[in-house]
Amino acid sequence: MSAQALPTDSYPRVRRIVLSHEGVLALLLVAELVVFSVIGRNFRSTDNALEIVRLGAEIGLLALALTPVIITGGIDLSVGSLMGLSAVLFGKLWRDAHFPLPVAMAATLAVGALAGLLNASLITRLRIPPLIVTLGSFSLFRGLAEGLTAGVDNFTNFPDAFLFLGQGYFFGAIPAQLPVFAAVALGYGLLLHRTGIGRGLYAIGHSPEGARHAGIPVERRVTLVYLLSGIVASFAAVLYVSHNGQAKADAGTGYELRAITAVVLGGTSIFGGRGTIAGTLIGLFAIVVLQQGLLLSDGPAELAGILVGVLLITAIAANRLVTALASRRTSKGV
Amino acid sequence: MMRKHLREISVAGALLFLLLILLVRSPKFFDAANLRAVIVSDAPVIVAAIGMTLVILARQIDISIGSQFSICGMVAGLLAKQGVPTPVVALATLGTGALFGAINGALVAGLRIPSIVATLATMVTWREAMRWISEGQAVQNLPESFLWLGMSRPAGQALIVLSAFALLLLFAWGLRALPAGRAVYAVGSDAEAARLAGIRPPLVVFGVFVLMGVLTALSALLTAIQFRNVLPGEGAGLELKVIAACVVGGVAISGGRGTLPGALAGVLFLGTIGPALPFLGTQAYWEKALQGAIILIAVASDAINLRRRRDVGASLAH
Amino acid sequence: MRLGFWSLVLAAALLAGCDNKGGGASPGGGLTVAMMPKSKGNAYFIACKKGADEAAKELGVKLIWDGPTDPDPAGQNSIVDGWITRGVDVIAVAVENREGMSSVLKKARAKGIKVVTWDADSTPEARDVFVNQATPEGIAKTLVDHAARLLGGKGEYAIITASLTAGNMVEWQKAIAKYNAEKYPDLKMVALRPCDDKQKQAFDEANNILNSQKNCKLLMAICSPAVPGAAEAVEQSGRTDVKVIGLGLPNDNKVFVKKGITEAVVLWKTADLGYLAVQAAVAIHKGTLKPGDKTFTGGRLQNLELQGDNLLLGSPFTFDKTNIDNFDF
Repeated sequence: MSAQALPTDSYPRVRRIVLSHEGVLALLLVAELVVFSVIGRNFRSTDNALEIVRLGAEIGLLALALTPVIITGGIDLSVGSLMGLSAVLFGKLWRDAHFPLPVAMAATLAVGALAGLLNASLITRLRIPPLIVTLGSFSLFRGLAEGLTAGVDNFTNFPDAFLFLGQGYFFGAIPAQLPVFAAVALGYGLLLHRTGIGRGLYAIGHSPEGARHAGIPVERRVTLVYLLSGIVASFAAVLYVSHNGQAKADAGTGYELRAITAVVLGGTSIFGGRGTIAGTLIGLFAIVVLQQGLLLSDGPAELAGILVGVLLITAIAANRLVTALASRRTSKGV
Repeated sequence: MMRKHLREISVAGALLFLLLILLVRSPKFFDAANLRAVIVSDAPVIVAAIGMTLVILARQIDISIGSQFSICGMVAGLLAKQGVPTPVVALATLGTGALFGAINGALVAGLRIPSIVATLATMVTWREAMRWISEGQAVQNLPESFLWLGMSRPAGQALIVLSAFALLLLFAWGLRALPAGRAVYAVGSDAEAARLAGIRPPLVVFGVFVLMGVLTALSALLTAIQFRNVLPGEGAGLELKVIAACVVGGVAISGGRGTLPGALAGVLFLGTIGPALPFLGTQAYWEKALQGAIILIAVASDAINLRRRRDVGASLAH
Repeated sequence: MRLGFWSLVLAAALLAGCDNKGGGASPGGGLTVAMMPKSKGNAYFIACKKGADEAAKELGVKLIWDGPTDPDPAGQNSIVDGWITRGVDVIAVAVENREGMSSVLKKARAKGIKVVTWDADSTPEARDVFVNQATPEGIAKTLVDHAARLLGGKGEYAIITASLTAGNMVEWQKAIAKYNAEKYPDLKMVALRPCDDKQKQAFDEANNILNSQKNCKLLMAICSPAVPGAAEAVEQSGRTDVKVIGLGLPNDNKVFVKKGITEAVVLWKTADLGYLAVQAAVAIHKGTLKPGDKTFTGGRLQNLELQGDNLLLGSPFTFDKTNIDNFDF
């Protein structure tokens, strides 16, 4: 899971789980669940548990896609804007070019792939830092979305069959987004944790040169993660459109930062080389449960935002503290 | 010297080219009223860009300045509305900025939290705290003594523009001539080497964040005195605007390279595109797309240049 | 490591999964009305809230007031979703995007929650009743008559609206265009720009219009942040030949009205709108108000007219130099 040996690696298994970043976060999540069960209305209900998944789906998809990107030591700020561009293209292809919806969807995913490739080639061929490349594409994609719609055009009146994807329920209870999200989470989990490609990503994050010398095709792997990121972002856009019943240029505004928050909260190091899909999922749910819990307790929505910011700092600072303490102990030979 | 400042000169050249097109297609752009509006609107961005240049030179980043700007603007407006004398308002506002900067600095230099994560957290926390307290309400009907700092509008505008440029010159000189300035470059290029040379990187990093905070507050103040109302969320998106301008102007995100004149050129260039569009017959809503394209072209050309000079050992990470 | 960790996740899911419907403190049996403005930060909606609070107190119901800080249809959707999960009795919402809210509002209705829209409507089948501040025709007539008066019956004017998707904005524009064409054929609208309900953006748009449409002599701002925004732009440009009228709050515009830049501010009693929305919400829940009724009396607002499923507050009111100081909202 991690590329470097942590000072806590010699600890007994349970202690390691509890002390690890993911362990602490999981405890935090449980704490949130307990608190809100008491003060929230209808918090402890199957309805709510399923709604929470639906709420987190779009940002969750972005967070899943960003996890391998950040593990390789990169970052992708353009995913939110790509959602906007994809949403608009999807709407335009369906309404103005009269593409059937499945074809429009496929075309949108193709555009997402192209966008990912654009990012990837600037990063791998020209060696431009990912932060800058995706800052530029962040503006470019949103700008294209705004340009194509003159900033105001809005695509609506999608057929009910399509809206089912984002708003419907299987068997009256399971949100349609749940299986979709679970599938993507599973896919990324397998890629990252069960394949050689995944292991290679950690190596790249730890040291690109070292990875290269070890025979890993660094450029190809990096291209893969940005390509996937683009495809997932445009898929998230389709989900967003079906969820809200409208496609507008401002779709996904601010989502990239929220997704990055979930990823970092979940224990992925922004410098690369460390992180897990499970961690990202826990980070995501910690945030979504907080938001939903506050809403159901009639609390101010802004408090969620404040707590998330504080949580992020605390989580990272605590992690450093624990690691520092642990290394002190092991060095004393305890 | 031409070689060394190739980026700054290219951006200045691009700006001149744009102005030339405007001169030919639509000389009305150069009407006094319009030019004035453009430069006055760019001035606060220039002030913020000074701070961001320092931060990026030190190999850090600060994405929280948008939220800082909003809060400082509100603080200034609320104090002014209470009848607090303008100089005190100004001091309090700058002090607020310094406080925010200090918090960022403590998180990054003290707790060793990566600057992008620390400022992401503070950005979200302060933005939501502000929304909660203000409930999105604007501070309205600011007193006349606060508007344009009590001066007439032309005088106030001149003051804003002149202070932006004066600060730019001051900091540009400081970066070159003062040991503190050189320390910023040193820490950004190689913090370990700087430390061995006797510089204290945590102190330098802390310092640039505090300066960023103060300059952001000043930027907010210069904006607040222009309008009768201070709107919450006024600063949204400022950080990306400023970072883009710095990057286009040649300030390298990997630290240690870049100049303030370059950042200035970046701000002026990107800041002219928006206002120029209606005069060129293009719709305003293509502005973001154009800016994004320019950012990519600028950094791509930079990288191509660099490749010709350096070997392929450059890392893929930031 | 991952095994232990996943089991924690599973445990958490189970905790959430065991049913405890209605868990958490339940209020003492009173109704809960959940009310949402288009955006919490807009002074117009804050003024409406005062009336809503008054009605809630009078009727003894719990009022939840929440919404996105800035106009955000997706945000409105997710908050309503949360209310459905939480369980409220009535939802009263000012809809930012007409079509976008239909599904979630229909879902609420399917679960037995009554839905009332106010200020800006959703699609008709998604709600029980729409509390309308004034008919679009009434608003259009007042605004266009002022415009014609100020321009002498002919000339060019521009409209600054909140967004091109909000139901009320669209209705008003259409009514304005219709009345304009019928009554004043020499009066032309030359630009229609949205400002996202933001004053600064309205300021920028107004500047754009002033710079690019040299013959436009009147700015008609049909959303409250745009009236002071446009007036600010006119003032800073120094153009004394351009006037501003619009739908706005008296307090926002006093300065500009006194300076002669803004000639007429048209509105209605916003607090009454909020008050009526809550009254109607409770009445719908109790069954004392149904679409098809002819009149409605809600507390201190008596005998209001209903046009089908539109409950009307009344006619628009004009604030100008002579009376604007009498009002404080």
